[in-house]
Order: sequence, then structure tokens, then C-alpha cells
Amino acid sequence: MQPGFSGASIDFPRDPGHNARVPVVNDIPKRRTRVVRAGLIYATVVLAIGIAAGSRPNNLLVWVFACLLAALVASGIVSGWMLMPLRAIRVEPRRGRVGEPLLVRYEIRNTSRLFPAFDLHVVETDSTSVGSGLTPAGEAWVLHVGPGDRVHAEAVFRPTRRGTARLSRFEVRSTFPFDLLQKTLVFSQPADVLIHPEIRVLREEILRRVTAGGIGGQRISGQAGGSDDFFGVREYRPGDSVRQIAWKRLAGTGKLASIERSRSVPPRVRVLLDLSRATAALRVGEGEDARALEEDAIVLAASFIALADRLGYEYALSIAGLPSPPVALRRGHFHREKLMSLLAALDLERPRTAGNGLAASDERSTVIVIHADRAETSIAPQNAWHFTARQLAQLTDRAGRPSGDASEGAQPAAVATTGEGAAA
Amino acid sequence: MTLLRQYRLASFLQALVAMVAFSIAELDFGMLFTSVVLAMLSWYATEGPRGRTLPDWAANLLVIAAIGWEAFRFLATGELADAMGALGRTMVWILLAKLFARRTASEERQRFALSTMLVIAGCLQSVQFAFGLLIIVFACVSIWSAMLWRLARSAEEARRSREPADAAKGGEAFAPPLEIVVGRRAVPQFRGLVAASVLAVLGVGIGVFILFPRFADIGGTGGRGPGATTGFNEEIRLRRGDRITESRRELFTVRWIDPDGSSRRMLRPILLRGAVLAWYDPSGERWVPMRAEVGIRTVRTPEDGAFASLARGAVETTGSVSTVDIQMRSYATDTIFSVYAPIAIATSEPRSVAIDPATLVLRDVSRDRTGRYWSYSLRVQPQPSAEVLAALSSGNSTRGAYVTFPIEEIRPIAEEILASLPASASLPPRPVPSSTDAERALWGREVARAVAAYMRANFEYTTDLSRFPRVEGEDPILSFLTRYRAGHCEYFASGLCAVLRSLGIPSRIVTGFIAMEYDESAGNYIVRESNAHAWVEVRTGPNAWMPVDATPEESLAELQERNRSFMDGFRWMYGSLEFLWNSRVVSYDASVQSTYASRLQSGWRDAVGERLEQALARMRAIALDLSLGRAGGAWFATIAIAISTALLAVLIVALRRRRLRARLRVGGATRAERRRLLREAAFYVEALDLLARAGFAKPAHLTPQAWAAELAARHPALGTAFGAVAERLYRVRYGGSEEVSGEGRSGADSHQSLLLELRSAIRQNLQPRRAD
Repeated sequence: MQPGFSGASIDFPRDPGHNARVPVVNDIPKRRTRVVRAGLIYATVVLAIGIAAGSRPNNLLVWVFACLLAALVASGIVSGWMLMPLRAIRVEPRRGRVGEPLLVRYEIRNTSRLFPAFDLHVVETDSTSVGSGLTPAGEAWVLHVGPGDRVHAEAVFRPTRRGTARLSRFEVRSTFPFDLLQKTLVFSQPADVLIHPEIRVLREEILRRVTAGGIGGQRISGQAGGSDDFFGVREYRPGDSVRQIAWKRLAGTGKLASIERSRSVPPRVRVLLDLSRATAALRVGEGEDARALEEDAIVLAASFIALADRLGYEYALSIAGLPSPPVALRRGHFHREKLMSLLAALDLERPRTAGNGLAASDERSTVIVIHADRAETSIAPQNAWHFTARQLAQLTDRAGRPSGDASEGAQPAAVATTGEGAAA
Repeated sequence: MTLLRQYRLASFLQALVAMVAFSIAELDFGMLFTSVVLAMLSWYATEGPRGRTLPDWAANLLVIAAIGWEAFRFLATGELADAMGALGRTMVWILLAKLFARRTASEERQRFALSTMLVIAGCLQSVQFAFGLLIIVFACVSIWSAMLWRLARSAEEARRSREPADAAKGGEAFAPPLEIVVGRRAVPQFRGLVAASVLAVLGVGIGVFILFPRFADIGGTGGRGPGATTGFNEEIRLRRGDRITESRRELFTVRWIDPDGSSRRMLRPILLRGAVLAWYDPSGERWVPMRAEVGIRTVRTPEDGAFASLARGAVETTGSVSTVDIQMRSYATDTIFSVYAPIAIATSEPRSVAIDPATLVLRDVSRDRTGRYWSYSLRVQPQPSAEVLAALSSGNSTRGAYVTFPIEEIRPIAEEILASLPASASLPPRPVPSSTDAERALWGREVARAVAAYMRANFEYTTDLSRFPRVEGEDPILSFLTRYRAGHCEYFASGLCAVLRSLGIPSRIVTGFIAMEYDESAGNYIVRESNAHAWVEVRTGPNAWMPVDATPEESLAELQERNRSFMDGFRWMYGSLEFLWNSRVVSYDASVQSTYASRLQSGWRDAVGERLEQALARMRAIALDLSLGRAGGAWFATIAIAISTALLAVLIVALRRRRLRARLRVGGATRAERRRLLREAAFYVEALDLLARAGFAKPAHLTPQAWAAELAARHPALGTAFGAVAERLYRVRYGGSEEVSGEGRSGADSHQSLLLELRSAIRQNLQPRRAD
């Protein structure tokens, strides 16, 4: 079971990073001191010079030894004064996405009234961070924090798998000033980061073709509003604009009437992710991994949603086999992020349930069904389009370019269809 | 970023200072010039507009060439004593090659290590003040450089951590490029931190230097001390080197004061004796000093600067007595330089002075010293009477000594020189066995004068003996007298002494300084390092010796004149600093340490012990006045405990108030408001303490209400209780008036009830945990 996923609930998963509540943490961080390798070598050299100075009546050698020893002491004092007043918190580690840099910000505050701090490395140390699919890809480094100052540093992580990543402890380290001793402050601040599935850039024509001319195509909506085509005439209501008044009707009947205009709506797509079969029940070929196929299916679903969003479609997501909240057809950034969070929080270890998770049957939208291993047409309406996870590579725009200029003549990739959609 | 750009300059300066320091330690000005010029060139080449560096293979080749060249030179000369010098020179050349090389982390580390080793090698070569000054500069630059190095390395590491693993193959970067996070006023704060670190290192370093255990007397009474490096030597080694020092460094000044109190210039240069060399060692080709095993007298000079007699018993001085004032400029030594037969001595601070009755050489033997003497005065007679000499020598006439010379080949040469003396010398008849001592002394004195004049006329004075190679199997004195007839003062003195002793005339060599440069404006002689001199003394009586100098005086004057420069006027400033350096640092040894320790001990005893005694006496007096009797002690103890308790209470309250101020953040409030808050909002800090002890310490970045909400989500009772505390805090903190509960209780009571509720909530919360 993946952490952070609420099995019993079918609400949308909360983005853990958003409005993150910081759990119980100690006010004063733990401190650690370690002698680094250079420091050990230095101490050995100092010892040797000390022995030489003691056995030889040469005061300059004694002076050199004294300075070297003093540097060791000063290193400990300066780094101690520098680090002790530092306080740090991890700021809003928001969601990440597989394959994209995840920026984690740290706020470092120097509470000292006198001493600045230099050369601070901020490192996530807890082992769960490593196991949770976050690979460090760039450390957070602060050159300077003045007394009473507050700075922000960013570390970069590479999310390697979808789900909830847990960050627990982080350290602020420094070997300043002389690279002899490493002083560390350990801050405990558990936080969860939701990692969205990877998004591949799919060919635009695929979505255009599956929605063109069909029930999901662009059309006049059944609702009045907007300012495009004529929709009808109705009785005048106080507050209607003068420009809406149907003057001809007024001239003919002598009664005030208002013209209503229709509003065009974009094509609608509902993505149905078919996870109704248990992982063990999937048909896989030699060398194939069933769980990887499921993950690919999730990636394909996320990619379709991203493509639909980019093309300005209205879209929704249904999940068959796992509990999920009903999702209406919408568009926009927040809707997209909501669906991505839903995909991110899918727990494939859970037992699968019956049902296709589709909304009301009278919904007018193109249904795209994504299966893990093979198309199961009975799960969706007859006019639905079916894809499998194995087609992910074929559907991906190889050039990786932002779509929008796909040639009209290009054939869509092999698409498994059923019903009206057959013939691709 | 300015700070990161500074590192290259700091690193370059560190290497440059190390090379300059070593060159000065070695007194190798050729290397100094070469290394500085090449270092500057490297800076222009690597950091200039083109920014070119040597390829790795070329830099490595240069390093190998440097090692090979210095190894070859070392093996060719075969001077084992120069091993450290050769090692240092090798390091200089390697460092120069590395200055031209590409700057990698490894190269930077090597440069740092080489620079430090170079300075350590210099320490084994020199104790000069200039070098010591450069060590301190090097320490400061190294601290600066090391701190910048750390920053530069970290920036590089952080940058590299964001580069793709296949960056070399043109791989795409995954992470955004590093943006360096810098607070306000980073550069001045960095400078301040560097200054603080330098002060810390120097402060702790001075402490370690003072306390470091020393097992040897570096400049003690038995050692040669740092003075051995100034041209003056207590022994003469004729094969030590080809040159003697021509340094113009001012060592001390000499003022001759007549009995009437006026200072004047003498007709002849003043010879200041430092050591008497009695024996010649042909195997070592050196003259060694003779020290009396017994009879050395020690005189303690008085504190008021009065003269202390150096003679045994009272001495009646007939004739005029002059005073010689000597002021040290840069020379710190145990040897007290004096003209012949000083009668009395006075020092600026009390010191113990030992006089060798056989040689009348003075030495500072103070055990309780914390530095070298600064100035002293001598009472002298230009022509000391026999009584004075007898009192100074304590009857130690050394009769029969100083008349043998171990090299037989000198005798015929001496006879030949004696025969070739001009008739104008008008020597008295040569003594026969029946001659009296006076006749022998007269003959010896006249022969010495004549031979010295002969040598001045027929021998060449030079400080550069590289033209006169050493002849294997031939003693250098023999070579001087027969083959080359050229040399410096040590050869002239050795030759004269050898001739005189071969003729049976008692004579000895004296080393010290010749004061011949008179400063009319100051009315004193300036003695420089190049004024180190050697001459001969011939016995003229039972305890009487007469100085005879075979070195041509004109040659010495000419040498001084040749080396004169405009810098001479400023040397005294440097000289004074160098004296302090030599006196306080270089010669700091176990005896000085023990002196400081005993002074500290006695000072502590004086400061604390006496005051304690006084306080006890006062207490006894008070007890007596008040007729407290035996209970007086108990009363005083009670009062002391009460005062201590009160002080402790005040301290605790002050600390608590300080903590409250920090917790409540009342820095911006008015004085009255602050006082009110400290009085009324203390309950909040107590509540925080309670929570912290229970393991629920409030994170600093959360507000009290946010923390209460957080607690409520996990432990409802606790959250509610702390929520009430937080609400009360807000009212008190921002409501502006003292909170009074609805039941008519005072604010304090009300706060206490809140705390009680919080305590009980904590207990409730802890019980299930304990049960688990």
C-alpha cells in the first residue's frame, strides 16, 4: 500500500504539499560535528609539526604550529557560532511529476544578531526520501545569510515514480571556514509530496480524429449565452440589454422580446482508465511486467488528459476497478491538476472492484478507454475508442514537439476500436 | 559573485607571499626577483585578457625539470647543510610551474600545501624579523584564501550537482541552473568574518606560543642565541664560506661620554669585545673561545640604574673614567659588548652580569628574564691601571698561556716576516732567557705593531674569497700568509696571531664589533652588522692586553662607504622592531616561560592573597567592634549566603526576563508596554515549557493558534487547552489590558487556571502513551 493514499475515501486526494501542516518538530535542531578527511590530514600534519617544534629549539616552528592549531580551534568556534543560530524550514514542497524537476524550497533564517553564516548545504537525509522515488538532482546551497536575514534556497529532485513521496529530515551542513570540521544541524519536518504520473506528448491528430464529427465534436450547446449564433427569442426581461431586443418582433407584435444567442462549447472527452483486472490477471508477454503495463496505462491516461487540456477540450476521468470520485467534464488548470492528483494517488495494490466508473449514460462526450494489457470492449459504450498501454510508444510524438501543427493527412497510430470507432 | 571571484587573487597572493618569505629566509635575492617576476607573469597569462594556461603535460614537465635541476645542484655542491634550502628552492620552482597550470581542485590543493610547506622550510632556515613578519602576513592571507576556497569549491560542487551525468557528451540539463543565494551585505560581512578569524587565530596562536612547553634555552646563557646570525661569532671558522656579511642593518649605537659629560668621537675606532678565542684547532680550521671554568663573577645591577662594580673588592681608580652608553637597536643577544677592561656596569633594568676574569668578557646571565637587555652603560678607563686590571682579573694572570701555535710551518714564515720588517720599525732587542717580563712584553708589543703594519702594507683586504680557492691539505692560515696574502679581518687576525705565537709572543684573537661610523647629529657611533670584526690582543703585562688590529682601517672604511645608501637613515625603525622580535619572540624559551610563570604566581599571590588577608582582618576587626565573639564567623557566613542567594535570584530573574522578551518578541514595544507584557504574558512561556517537556515543543515558525490547531488535530484535549492559552495570549498581547476572568479572579489566577487545565490535558494525553 502506498503511503498517503486513503483507501476508504473516494474523495479527491489532497495535495499534501498544499497548505501543508507541519507536524510536531523540535524547535531546536539537533547538532552534529564530524571531522572530515581533510581535517584528519590537517590534524596529522599539525601533530607532526608540533613534535618537530617541541624537539627543536626554533620558535618560528612553534609559531607555525601555534597558528595551525589555532586555525583548527578557530574553525570549530567560527562554524559553531555560525550554525547555532540558524533555523530552517522546508517550504511547501508541492506536487511533482515523474520526469520533471521537483523543486523543494528551504527557508533559512539566521537568528543571530552578529554573526553571518556562509556556505550552507541543505540536504535531505532520511532514507525514506531516497526510497520514495526522489533522486537528488541538484543540491540547495546558500552562499551567505546575514545576521537577522532570511533566504530561500532550492534543491532539485528527480521524481522517478508516481505516488506519494515522503520527506522526513533535512540537514543544514557546512565545513566553512577551513574545510576541517563539518557541522550539521538536523531538522525534522515530515512532509508528503504527491508525484504525478509522467506525461508524454501525444500526437494531436489522435485526439482530433477521435473527436472530429462525432458526438464529442464542437457544436452548438443546448444552453443560451455567449455571443455567437442565433438560438431563439424569448420574452423580454427587465435588465436585458437594449442590443438584445428583437426590434422586428416588436414592430410586428408590439411586444418586447429579447434575442438569445448560443454559446459554442469545445469537444468533450472522457478518459476511462480500465484497471478492473487485477495485476496478476493481466496477460503479459515474455519480458513484460504487468505492473509496468498498468503504470504505462496511467501514463497514457495522464497524457491524453494533458493533450485534451492543451487543445482546449473539456475532459474528465473515470477509473474502472478502483474507487474514484465522479468527475464532471471540465477544463482548465485546476481541473487538470485534480485529475492528475487522482492518477497519482492510485493504489494498484488495492483489490479491484466491478463497474466502469462512468458518469451518467446521457453524457455527450467521446469516451477513450485505456486498458493495461488488452481491449475489453464491454466495459464502455459501443462508440468508445479503446487503447492499450502497449501503444504508448506509438502514440507518442517522437519529435517531442509541442503539438498543434500535426498534418491533417497523417494517419493515427494503430488504434483499437470497437463499434462506431472501428476502422482506424 | 564578487566573493567567488576574489578566490583566485587570494590564492595567487598566498603563493606569492610564501615564495617571497622563503627567498628572504634564504637571503636569496636572485630567487626573490625571479619568483616575483614569474609569478606576476603567470597572473597576467592566466587571468589576463587571454587567460591562457599551460597544458597539463607541459606543467608536469616543468615540475620534473625543476626537481631534476635542484637535485643536480644539490649533488654537485654536496652541502648536506643546504638540504632544506634545496628542498625549498625546488618547491619554489614547482609552485611557479603550478601558477601557470590549469586551475583544478587538485592543483589548488597542491598549491596550498606547497605554499605552507615553503613557509615551514623557511622557518628552519631563518629567524629574521622580515621573515617573521611575512609569516604573519602569510597566515592572514592563508585564512582569507582558505575561506574563499571553501566558498568557491562549494559553488562548484553545487553547480556540478545540477549538471547531467553526460554533460561532456552534450547531455541536456535536468535541473535549472544554480542561482547563488546571497543575503544582504555579504562582502563586508565576509571581510568582518575574515578579520575575526584572523584575530581568533592570532590570539589563540599567541596563547599556544606562550604556553607551548619548551625543553631548551634558545637564547640562554649557554647558547649562542639569535645573535649568531648577525655577523658576530664566538668562534672563527676559516672554511665556513667565501663571503662575510655586508649587511647595513643597525645593531646598536655606542656613545662615548667623557668625564665632563660630553660625548665625543674617538681618534681611533672603538673596538667592542664580544668573545676571546684562545685556541686554534687545525683539524677544524677554526679558532675556539676560552672560557674560565672557575672564577666567573656574577654582578647584579641595581634597580635604580646605578653602576655596579665588576671588580672584586673596592678599586681606586686614578685618572679619568669615561662612560660608554650602548643602546640596542635590533640585536638581541646574551653577549654584552664592551671596550677592554670595563670597571662597572649599569643596566636599564636589573640584570645579572657575569665577567670572565681571564678574558674580561661580559655576559648577561639573568635567569629571571623576559627578554633581552635594551641598553646599558659601562665605566671604562682608556688606559686602565695595573690595580684596576688586577682587581678585574682577580689575580688570574694566565701567565704562560697563548704562546703556542700548532702549525709548525708558520714558524719559519714568522721568522722571515720578522727579518723582513723595515729598520724603521726600530724593534727592541729580542729577549733572551734571562730577560725580564717587562722586556719581553715590550718586545712583543713592538713586534706585534710592526707585523700588523707589515700586513696592512703587504696584504690585500677583501670580503670575497671566491677568487682564492681552498688548497687541499694546506691550512688556510698558511695559504693566507704564503700563497694568497688576501682575506678579510678573520684572516688578518688569524695570520697575525699565528705569527706572534710562533715567535713566542702571547696573543689571542678577539671577536666583536668595530665602531667607526660616527653620527655627528646624534653624537654616537652606529654599529652595523657589517661592522663585525676580529682583531688580536697582545699581552703587555701580568693582566694587561693591548689590542692590535692588522686589518687595514682604510679598507674597512672604504667598505662601509661603498655600501652606504639612502636607506641607512630609516634602518633604525626596522632595527627597533627587529630587536623586539628577536628579544621577545625568537629568544622566548623555557627560562622566560618560568619567569613569566613565577611572576604570574607572585602577582596572583600579591593581588588575591593580600586582599584576602585584608578582608579577613577587616572582618575580625568588625567582629571585635560589634563584640560578636565566636559567633562572628557564623554571622558573616550567614550574610555571605544571603548575599549570594540574592545575587543568584537576581540572575535567575534577569535570565527569565530575557527569555520572556525573546519569546514574546516585545522588542518594538514601549518600555511600559514591555514591562506589562513581561508581567502578564509570562504564563504563555510557562505553557510552552510545559508542552516542550511533554514532547510537544512549538515550532518557531508556527503561530500559537496554528500550533493549537495542529495539536487539536492530533490530541483534541491538549489542543483545546493550549488554544485557550493562545487566545488569552492574544488578548493580553494585543488587547492592551490585563485580563480578568468572569469570576472576578485576578489575571494571574486566571492564567494559573489555564495552566492547570493544560497540565491536566497533558497528563491525560500522556497516560494512554504510558499504558502502551
